[in-house]
Amino acid sequence: MISAGKKSTMELLREEVESLLRIDRLPHVWCPGCGIGITLNAFLRALIRAKIDPNKTVVVSGIGCTGRAAGYVNMDSFHTTHGRAIPFAVGIKFARPELNVVVFSGDGDLFAIGGNHFVNAARRNHDILVIAVNNFTYGMTGGQHGPTTPTGAYTTTTPYGNPDRPFNIPHLAISLGAPYVARWTTYHLMQLQNSIYTALHRKGFRVIEVISQCPTVYGRRNEMKSPLEMMEYFRKFSVRKDDATFDEMELTYNGRIVVGVFRDVQGIPTYEERYNDIIRRAQK
Amino acid sequence: MKPGYYFWSGDIAAAEGAIFAGCRFYAGYPITPSSEIAERMALRLPQVGGKFIEMEDEIGSIAAIIGASWTGEKVMTATSGPGISLMNENIGLAAMTEVPIVIVNAMRGAPSTGLPTLVGQGDLMQAKWGSHGSYEIISLYPDSVQETFDLMVDAFNYAEKYRVPVLFLIDGMLAHMYEKIYVPPEDAVERIERKRPTKPPGEQLIYEPDEDLIPPMPRIGEGYKIHASGLTHNEKGYPELTPQAQERLIRRLNDKIRKHAEEIWKVEEYRTDNADVIVVAMGSNARAVRTAVDEARKEGIKAGLLRPITIWPFPYKYIEKYAVDYIVAEINYGQIYHKVKEYASGNVELLPKMGGELHTPQEILHALRRYKK
Amino acid sequence: MPQKNAPPKKRGTVKIMEERCKGCWYCVNYCPTKVLVVSPRLNSKGYHPPELKEEPPDKVCIACHLCELFCPDFALVVEELK
Ligand SMILES: Cc1ncc(C[n+]2csc(CCOP(=O)(O)OP(=O)(O)O)c2C)c(N)n1
Ligand code: SF4
Ligand code: SF4
Ligand code: SF4
Ligand SMILES: [Mg+2]
Repeated sequence: MISAGKKSTMELLREEVESLLRIDRLPHVWCPGCGIGITLNAFLRALIRAKIDPNKTVVVSGIGCTGRAAGYVNMDSFHTTHGRAIPFAVGIKFARPELNVVVFSGDGDLFAIGGNHFVNAARRNHDILVIAVNNFTYGMTGGQHGPTTPTGAYTTTTPYGNPDRPFNIPHLAISLGAPYVARWTTYHLMQLQNSIYTALHRKGFRVIEVISQCPTVYGRRNEMKSPLEMMEYFRKFSVRKDDATFDEMELTYNGRIVVGVFRDVQGIPTYEERYNDIIRRAQK
Repeated sequence: MKPGYYFWSGDIAAAEGAIFAGCRFYAGYPITPSSEIAERMALRLPQVGGKFIEMEDEIGSIAAIIGASWTGEKVMTATSGPGISLMNENIGLAAMTEVPIVIVNAMRGAPSTGLPTLVGQGDLMQAKWGSHGSYEIISLYPDSVQETFDLMVDAFNYAEKYRVPVLFLIDGMLAHMYEKIYVPPEDAVERIERKRPTKPPGEQLIYEPDEDLIPPMPRIGEGYKIHASGLTHNEKGYPELTPQAQERLIRRLNDKIRKHAEEIWKVEEYRTDNADVIVVAMGSNARAVRTAVDEARKEGIKAGLLRPITIWPFPYKYIEKYAVDYIVAEINYGQIYHKVKEYASGNVELLPKMGGELHTPQEILHALRRYKK
Repeated sequence: MPQKNAPPKKRGTVKIMEERCKGCWYCVNYCPTKVLVVSPRLNSKGYHPPELKEEPPDKVCIACHLCELFCPDFALVVEELK
């Protein structure tokens, strides 16, 4: 019964996760049960499994609870300004296409204040992986409504329920031509990890939406008082449907969450590849 | 560019000067009167193996060049007042995280959309104070197409040496004015590169300054596991949200410029010896002043011109140096006037114009005649 | 066909970094064999970390690593016993 022999793959993975964290900064700032940590764990494991050199990987975050992720990864990492993670990452990727560039940020950061950058970077098909943690709210500033808050949800700025319609993120990303688009919740531990793993092997503007719990400022105002209740919501209400229609992808208040890999196409030239042609033409 | 003579506008000279200085990455969004800089960069950068990208807005543009700078490239963007207003938050980010970037501002009549095609000098204070907080930047402002080209090398050298944003000011007049200019041979100038880490990854703290208060700068992808954050941070680059960390960091960010101010100052002193009255003027507006000073001297008025080329940090010692009366001729309703007033011992008069046109030599001369002894 | 009550083949144990734990209890709730329980101890931040409470032969850690994936705080390390 004594663990002596060779370590298993899973044990080695756990060791490497530890080495990819700035452990001198743990425990992290996130609240009990916050889904950001689960998502970060899945990302690190996917990165290790994909055998991508962490020294050639850059993590860029904006501002928000999710934005703090950059501060915990033991890699080149940038905690930028609110909404600007994508263009910051675009600068890095365009200057050094050999780097593996990952944006890890929140729904408000990426789709409200940073929405214009998301839309245009997707359109140009920059070779960047975007992990979008959607917790339906602005966690960092105390739980105001944001561009992904479901209609009817209660937040500090929608005290009578949210009159807005939320973004349908996969629909948005697909309409912009993003070659890899998936959605998971933090309950989908392995599917999320595998999806990030796949996306790391793809090229172009890849978007993975992670429905994540913010028990502290969202859950408790919306009938899910504890982290566990939020996780149970994800467990009970998620359905996998890779061929979901755009309408089915829409999220409703405490309703069904359609998850899956909605788009995975290869061979679309990236901005960086197309610019290589420009350099060739200019130097003729 | 091959060494030799060219007939260029200020915008073209800014672009070519940047390439000459080693700039290989440009991100921008068009705006009059700076758009020709973007157009020139789009044409020329890929020829020299560089990268040009037209972004969705100015906020994206500055974010992209800050990111690219971390890969080791010399980077630039160019815009005009409205674009600077949008960039200001990230100018603060670059100052806080000490990223070398050069931003050209072709100043036009302002505020708001103002006079898009016409000259203004209303962004002089914005250059220094545009973002929130106490920080220092460097700002340069040439007065001719030739100086625009030459000064670009200094702009990049300062950005790299001090790890700071450099706001390179030109104005609507200079941007579109064509002049004959000389491009020197490649090796005729000194190009400064940012300080590189001397210790291997693991031992180098990312924000540990040397004696000159400037930390060496690793590049992405070298294994240094950089962490840079706009949050108040310690020498590891980790957020440290305490008054003590704030005190240390903000003092250093400012002092690294203030303590080197005299190395950064460039000032033209034209016929200022034995002067009774000195006109302070900048950029293309100084050109008429030079003519007016010559005329005034002919009339027996001991006039001179003091032209700050370095606008920030403000070269105050040059103001203090002369026990004279000053006239500040600027295309705004009084900005640098207040700085001159702060340091002058004599009388200081403001000769403002709201924008759209420069002072004429006659207007300056008229003002100078009041100082005839 | 494995026998219904045969002891599980794979066995493990869990190293708990109590100071990292924030007491969300995902691990406790989703452990398939329910061998993680809320401990009465408090860590320095005031959270109750989990503890391993096996009741062999069948209520044991089967080294499925699920708790490790669920833990938002990187507080758990599953070690496989060979
Ligand atoms: C320019 C600017 N406006 C507003 C803020 C305040 N702010 C910080 S984080 C945030 C929202 C973050 O929401 P999200 O991106 O969803 O991240 P979360 O905290 O939910 O993970 C806001 C509004 C800011 N930092 N900068
Ligand atoms: S406020 Fe919400 S999103 Fe932010 S750390 Fe807490 S639980 Fe997570
Ligand atoms: S590894 Fe599996 S069985 Fe063991 S404690 Fe964790 S969840 Fe339970
Ligand atoms: S999942 Fe992690 S943080 Fe939550 S109770 Fe278990 S050990 Fe603690
Ligand atoms: Mg959010």
